[in-house]
Amino acid sequence: MAESGEFELLGRMTIGQYLPTGSPLHTIDPRGKLFVGVLLVLTTVATGSLLGLTLLLITVVAGFLLARIALRYALSGLRPLLPFILILALLQVFTIPQRGAASVLWHWGPLIITDASLLAGITLIGRVFAMVLTLSLLSFTTTTTELTHGIEHLLLPLQAFRFPAHELALVAIIAVRFLPILAQETERLMKAQASRGADFGRGRGNPIRRTRRLLPLVVPLFLVSLQRAEDLVLAMEARCYTGGRGRTHLIQLKARHRDYAFVAALVGIAVLAVTLSVISADHCVQGWLAGML
Amino acid sequence: MFKSTRKIVISGVMAAMLITLGLLPQGFIPTIFGVSLTPMHVPVIIGAVLEGPVVGFVLGLIFGAFSFLQAAIAPRGPGDVLFTNPVVSILPRLFIGPVAWAVYELLRRIKEPLAMAAAGVAGSLTNTILVLGVIGLLHLLPWTLIGGLALTNGPVEAAVAAVLTLAVVAAVKHIETGRRGSTV
Repeated sequence: MAESGEFELLGRMTIGQYLPTGSPLHTIDPRGKLFVGVLLVLTTVATGSLLGLTLLLITVVAGFLLARIALRYALSGLRPLLPFILILALLQVFTIPQRGAASVLWHWGPLIITDASLLAGITLIGRVFAMVLTLSLLSFTTTTTELTHGIEHLLLPLQAFRFPAHELALVAIIAVRFLPILAQETERLMKAQASRGADFGRGRGNPIRRTRRLLPLVVPLFLVSLQRAEDLVLAMEARCYTGGRGRTHLIQLKARHRDYAFVAALVGIAVLAVTLSVISADHCVQGWLAGML
Repeated sequence: MFKSTRKIVISGVMAAMLITLGLLPQGFIPTIFGVSLTPMHVPVIIGAVLEGPVVGFVLGLIFGAFSFLQAAIAPRGPGDVLFTNPVVSILPRLFIGPVAWAVYELLRRIKEPLAMAAAGVAGSLTNTILVLGVIGLLHLLPWTLIGGLALTNGPVEAAVAAVLTLAVVAAVKHIETGRRGSTV
């Protein structure tokens, strides 16, 4: 079962892995980590300032150090993305005009680089890095169970407004549990079909042909998963699952002082990062860049 | 309580299908314009047809969220940058399920197979039109380019959705009414 090549799926995505290193970061309440993770990702998008992004990047790297996880591992997950990030950044730098450009640094025909567009390109790269690293760190330090508990608890207050937090959390749990099952089934189906003469070559042929190749794979996959769904419903009801009302949990999440401190510290950093972008500290960076070149 | 056990489980399973399709190497078929074709909207449609508009709505939400995360974390083509905006990736997708369900319910009395295929087409077109519409309204791409994208991606995705919806839903319903062997 150890062959690789065409039939191996879900390869080297480092996001979604859990690395138990027993660090202090692992023991922090998952609700705190979730909240902070989402906050940081949103801040990444909200702050247009390179200085702000640098601050966030430093924070994430510090997080990695605290979690005793090698930064190199997370960066290896970024490697397949690099070409795209670079293309996008170059697009930003060369073609898209930015407001507030103080000086043109270089031009050749329709391609212009201004100090502002150069800044925009670098900011784009920084932003992608920050987002990926934050989410990676979150998944490295939190188990799936913790994550789902955390999400469910965070959404509980909405239950008062008839928002089905429990049901949605269950949907998430089931989906996650089914992923490896589906991956296995897909692999099995691909082998079975290939042994009967189907051709699953990597991305050859026009869109129509590739779509047709999907059919003998996708339809059985759907049917198998729906069949399993039926079985699961039967199993749940046979164990007296009657819905979320009045359910209690085996594992209770308790927030401690260090969790509050953690969240407070990171909210502070996020606010600082956004402030940096609001007061446009970037003009200094722009000027510096222009001066350098 | 919005959801019966059945609806919860089907939602979860279709969500897993969504994600699996998204992660398959063949899951995204990049076209020349750099925006990828995807069969990922099909589980949303199937879930909606089988279990109702609420399930369709939730699946649309998950589709949108996944699309958003995909674009932000592991883009597969230059066009994916557009999807880092949640209004583009999430908002239009919420309608795929309910629309597909509505079409199915309306046409069911006339002729079941027609209803299933039509639901597939309707859901797929909802996806194409709303997503591209939002992109256009936000001035992210010029309208001519959007028109081109609609014409290349739209019909193909709709046809795929129709075929898949028909095949899967028909097989499932027959399995429900009596285990009488293969219908594929």
